[in-house]
Amino acid sequence: MEYAIETENLTKIYRDRAGKVVALDSANLRVPKGVLFGLFGPNGAGKTTLISILVGLQLPTRGTARVLGFDCVKQSLEIRKRVGLLPENYGFYEHMTAYENLEFLGRLDGIPWGELRRRIDEVLELVGLKEWANAKVKTFSRGMNQRLALAQALLKDPEVLILDEPTLGLDPQGSAMFRELMTRLVKEGRTILISTHLLHEVGFICSHAAFIRKGRIVAQGNLEELAKQYREARGYSYEVVVQERPEDLLRELRQLEGVVEVGLENNTIRVRASRDIMRELLGVTGRYQVRSLRERAPTWDELYQFYHGGGWGE
Amino acid sequence: MSEKVAVIVRKEVLENLRSLRYWGLIVLFVLLFVAISAAISAAMGSAFQGREVPAPERGRPATRGVAELRLVVQFVGSLSAAMSFVAPLLGIALGFSAIVAEREKGTIRLVLARPVYRDQVLNGKILAATILIAIAVFVSTALSLPISATLYGVTLTADDLSRLMLSLIPSILLALAYYALSLFISVLSDRSGRALLYCILAWIFLTFVLPIAASMIAYSVLGPPPAIALNRTSATGVEIGVTVTVVEELPPQLQDYYRKLGEITSSVLMISPNDRYFTLVNALFTRRSPQTTSYVDLGSIIATRWVDLAVLAAYVAVFTLLSYIFFVQRQEVR
Ligand SMILES: Nc1ncnc2c1ncn2[C@@H]1O[C@H](COP(=O)(O)OP(=O)(O)OP(=O)(O)O)[C@@H](O)[C@H]1O
Ligand SMILES: [Mg+2]
Repeated sequence: MEYAIETENLTKIYRDRAGKVVALDSANLRVPKGVLFGLFGPNGAGKTTLISILVGLQLPTRGTARVLGFDCVKQSLEIRKRVGLLPENYGFYEHMTAYENLEFLGRLDGIPWGELRRRIDEVLELVGLKEWANAKVKTFSRGMNQRLALAQALLKDPEVLILDEPTLGLDPQGSAMFRELMTRLVKEGRTILISTHLLHEVGFICSHAAFIRKGRIVAQGNLEELAKQYREARGYSYEVVVQERPEDLLRELRQLEGVVEVGLENNTIRVRASRDIMRELLGVTGRYQVRSLRERAPTWDELYQFYHGGGWGE
Repeated sequence: MSEKVAVIVRKEVLENLRSLRYWGLIVLFVLLFVAISAAISAAMGSAFQGREVPAPERGRPATRGVAELRLVVQFVGSLSAAMSFVAPLLGIALGFSAIVAEREKGTIRLVLARPVYRDQVLNGKILAATILIAIAVFVSTALSLPISATLYGVTLTADDLSRLMLSLIPSILLALAYYALSLFISVLSDRSGRALLYCILAWIFLTFVLPIAASMIAYSVLGPPPAIALNRTSATGVEIGVTVTVVEELPPQLQDYYRKLGEITSSVLMISPNDRYFTLVNALFTRRSPQTTSYVDLGSIIATRWVDLAVLAAYVAVFTLLSYIFFVQRQEVR
């Protein structure tokens, strides 16, 4: 399988007066093409460092990274032609207008004059800043800055979008706009890598993720793959929605081998088991008036807690 | 010139033309030059009172009187004094924040994550600075020239004006020397405030400390002057270029001592961009002989003063090169 982003033993060691900081420690990240990929990790985990190396803002100490098949050290320019970046701690030229900033950055992207005007209008529309095109950036609020930052990343209509904490400072409408936009861009075939620890805001739109901790990728894959490890460690959970009093059903469920916990809440029975008991559940519930039976997938939040909360790989 | 460089030049020029800092320095120059002119003409006013200054006759500049020739020399002296003060500040103003402010604000991340080479970013900035310096030097001179000339009561001939235009070249070089130095400091810095501080310290050193240090070095090399009773005689003035040096009739040992002192001082001052600038401007306004009005031709100025040009150019070249090395080779955005 060809990956949009692939790193191999990527290591970054910062040296400063205080000594050495290992920001990335043999990280092996694999982002498939055409997916919305979350890079989840706590502060200082190395997310920004990894992203900076991908676009050539930093050099790796060891290891390699490829974006769309191009080497991040030797072919950085090819990568930068194709990747739109929303970096951390960016800034705009404050005495220039939003339009002028985008015009400058778009020209650096290599967008010809003729196309640029239309493109700027498009991205400003997308992020909801159209009315502010001719306002100086110094008058912008934090959220407006963040919208403009998103706009500049989209300017060249990139194959790959790399966004570092993209929802920082966005209001609820802004976040919703952002999620909708990302979902659409992925449908159109782009690859998006989003680094964040705000899982409740952006996490749930990701189909794939990597959990990064202390510079290492501790787990990665699609939701299903990541949930598998979680279930093996934390057990499986199911939800059975019933129509009437389920006393007998409850009793029968408790007797199934591997069931750890059975709880009732309104008319939903929650079952936790140490092994996969889907087949047995189908058998048992078939004999009752059951509206639905489904295995409950862990949320990204639960996965985050699991992979970062000491439950994994420690 | 690559297209990316042109894009950066355009943005830098527009951004600076809108900045208060840039126009502030132009205004500073105008005020300074006009103030110096006003002060000197007020001081001279009484001296010239009653003395007839012959009005220059059209087409016959050779009839300009000695008094008026002196006036031109004074005038150029005030102009170069103001310029030697403002041009370095202009270079510093454009250079000190060039890289470090983009790092601090984070604009550099948006730029360098795009398909541009780091040297293109520097090329664009340096080219833009050269354009901005040329504009500032030209505009500020053009604005203040008529006012100051009127204050002095000096009528400038076409010859004077063309030399004044030529003197913009050393002015631009002087500003560029300080720009290159400041750019280098900017490349190395983490904070704009620090960068500005180091630039100002460098300026203070080159402008104020170095001349004092030069004569101190000369004194410490030569020791105190030989103790000889001075035999005061009448002084004779010799006009050399625009400077009037008064050589007293001193005993030969003392003459020798002061000659050596001057030699050592000026050889230390060879590294001073300000001093190179003054020397070049003086050379431009040197007359063929004290009695003629025509200036020494350019060819012989370059033949005798190429070292001064070379020193200024070396400042520009060395610090630009160092900036490239440190900015391009490090390849890290901090
Ligand atoms: N320029 C630098 N010099 C020294 N250490 C650095 C530098 N940049 C980052 N670090 C260190 O590297 C580690 C990883 O930092 P990084 O910014 O990549 O984390 P992050 O996951 O992006 O964190 P956050 O969620 O807070 O943005 C941290 O320990 C940080 O202190
Ligand atoms: Mg970060």
